[in-house]
Amino acid sequence: MTDHKPKIAFFQCHWCLYAPEDQEWVDRRLPDNIRLIKVPCTGRIDPLFVLNAVQGGAEGVVISGCLPEKCHYKEGNLAARRQLQEFSSFMDYIGYDEARLRFVWLDLQDRGRIQRELADFENQLQQLGSAEALAARQPLEEGGAHE
Amino acid sequence: MKYLLPKNELYSRLARWSAEYSILAPQKVGEYSEFLPFTAQSELCLQEPHNTRYPAKALFFPQSETILKYNRISGQLESAAPESQKRIVFGIRPCDAKAVTLLDTVFAEGDNQDPFWLARRAETFLIGLGCHEPCATCFCTSTESGPFHTEGLDALLTDLGEVFFVETLSERVEALFSELSPAEAAQQEIALAVQAAAEKSLPKVFELDGIKEKLDRVFDKEIWAELSQSCLGCGICTFLCPTCFCFDLVDEAQRGTRVRNWDTCMYRVYSLEASAHNPRPTRRERTRQRLMHKYSYWWEHAGKLGCTGCGRCVRYCPVGLDIRAMIKKASAYESEAQHAN
Amino acid sequence: MSELEQKIRSEAERLLKEGLVDVVIAFRKEDAPLRPQPAFFTHPEDLENLTYNGLCANNLANYLTRYPRETRIGMLVRGCENRSVNALIVEKQHSRENLYLIGIPCTGIIDWRKVIALTGEDILGYEDTDSTLIVRARHQTFRLPRQELLHPSCQRCVHPNPLSADILLGEALPEGDPTLIRARVESFEALSREERTAFFRQEAERCIRCYACREACPMCYCEECFVDHNTPRWTESGTTPAGTHAWHIIRAFHQTGRCTSCGACERACPMDIQMTYLTDKLGKDMWDYYQFAAGMDDKTQPPFAAFTMDDKKHFQAGGKLS
Repeated sequence: MTDHKPKIAFFQCHWCLYAPEDQEWVDRRLPDNIRLIKVPCTGRIDPLFVLNAVQGGAEGVVISGCLPEKCHYKEGNLAARRQLQEFSSFMDYIGYDEARLRFVWLDLQDRGRIQRELADFENQLQQLGSAEALAARQPLEEGGAHE
Repeated sequence: MKYLLPKNELYSRLARWSAEYSILAPQKVGEYSEFLPFTAQSELCLQEPHNTRYPAKALFFPQSETILKYNRISGQLESAAPESQKRIVFGIRPCDAKAVTLLDTVFAEGDNQDPFWLARRAETFLIGLGCHEPCATCFCTSTESGPFHTEGLDALLTDLGEVFFVETLSERVEALFSELSPAEAAQQEIALAVQAAAEKSLPKVFELDGIKEKLDRVFDKEIWAELSQSCLGCGICTFLCPTCFCFDLVDEAQRGTRVRNWDTCMYRVYSLEASAHNPRPTRRERTRQRLMHKYSYWWEHAGKLGCTGCGRCVRYCPVGLDIRAMIKKASAYESEAQHAN
Repeated sequence: MSELEQKIRSEAERLLKEGLVDVVIAFRKEDAPLRPQPAFFTHPEDLENLTYNGLCANNLANYLTRYPRETRIGMLVRGCENRSVNALIVEKQHSRENLYLIGIPCTGIIDWRKVIALTGEDILGYEDTDSTLIVRARHQTFRLPRQELLHPSCQRCVHPNPLSADILLGEALPEGDPTLIRARVESFEALSREERTAFFRQEAERCIRCYACREACPMCYCEECFVDHNTPRWTESGTTPAGTHAWHIIRAFHQTGRCTSCGACERACPMDIQMTYLTDKLGKDMWDYYQFAAGMDDKTQPPFAAFTMDDKKHFQAGGKLS
């Protein structure tokens, strides 16, 4: 079980102020089990995106955005936070563990934090085991799944 | 041939048939009944006056069906046509059986030979159960059908209390019943009396004579605005209708499947064109379409009425719209207009 | 004809005769047994068809968004309808000046399915009295205790009285017990994760995607719903688990801070799918974190439409607002 690499959908606000070497790692050297989806702001993340990831078989979802007062659009991240926080607790209500949704709000100073967060999250997901109940669709394969 | 099927032998008879056929029969789920596979544990629901909630058309034309699987990169295609299977649909009501014959004119006539429909239809026997106690929402006697109408059925059962009076209607089911004792004239008379009483308990609500012409003449009249005013525009009446057959083909690109889903003229997006033009922009046009299709256009494309009077649309409409009253009002509107002229 | 019905009729007549409104939205006598229909009266002489009793099941606020904001509407409102109207005004779907709300303290909506289950199909007539529903069927007359026939949402109703009606017909009723609606959510929360998922799946997967829940809901007035959108397609189209789960999750979530717990969605559902346990959970959270309940007035923005910098102190902790 410990060799199982959980599938993670990683939404990143593209204004997110990562240290350059961290951003370079995210852009080029992300492990295979993590899929990066860049969005113009966390405010763009509709709960449907998160649900789609879950249904498509993501065992965990990471949402990474800017610190509260540093949103490029002033308050996109505040709106996102209100909605997505509630969405994760709503998903928990119907059985999808809210520990599978993680928010990472960070700044230029948080050097190396994204790697630590992802590693920690991966570890946490391994503890939680599989999340099949709501993964109602076959995992996405190149060109569409073909049974 | 006419036979008698004692009720206490029903389950053993079905069990014997199930060696060769898969049997679908109405069974209670919550407050309602549904067609479900018959197993040793099944308890059938044959005494309720009301029909199954979900229409029997779904046994031949499921709501969502994969018709094709594909891979976008390799270009590999695979048809998902089902294999024909020997089935018995037991306890289908006459209105639903007639509806299946109406759908034959859509899926299995002339150039239209739908492999999915044909595969499910070919070796499926319909053994009907007449309604000795029609519901308040039923109006089959007004729609060229009736509580003991035989169209589309291979055999019809009449409930005589302790026994079912069985009338076989096609050669292919004769073997299923041949071991039963034949019905005598006296029992047949009782059955006919039950049938006549049921028929009589459901007086006609409208005459079909000239109804098409009447509706055609009010096509562009204001009556449709009035009739559709409270309509919510949901899909209940059409999805639960045993004769509605509209479908939509959708590519589920993430799965790599092409799916056929029921669709309904009551949705705004049903007739929405790519240009953003919608020829049926409001509920007025969409309600008109539903009624006119059943009571006018069906005569044109199949020479028959497209409604069997099962009453599901009346029973389940969330705003209490009643197609009987709507048809009556629409056809009466014309005569008022004549007076006005 | 009940006294209340007579009062509604004369008020509607006054509004139409004096030209105070263009249309009165209320109910009219049924075509199908037990199913009074929403009706739109524009001429006083049509009012003889007006009816009102516990079987009037629809939330009339649903029809508000079909009219331009300039249309002067007289509308029959019960507690929940009044809250829906308020929530729609907050969202600028109509202007309060052009509305005349005829308020009725509501004793709860009777579920016709429960009646039929007890009386059978052949109903000739009925009378709705204070505590009993008297149903005349073909073979016998039934006297059914009203409270047991109520729709579950109505049994849990907190505010049966209209909050901002222009006129109140009938005596105001005592407020309902606010713990009932919470207790239901809490008892669901107390189930194990597996049980919760199993329940959700059992309900959602019966869905036939007729969207009656959407169309019956006053707050679902989007020109294009997310499920109808196909460039790109957000959810699976069919009645597969993926499609029905997505519909039930997102439909409920779009009601966060907007749902007034009227239960119209469940009343409309032809498959008897339970949905209010989802929206009530969101309603409970909105109350717990933001002290907000939808439709209590026609000014306050719902929590998802407003956010403050104060949120930020709860930000990095990831904790709930308190």
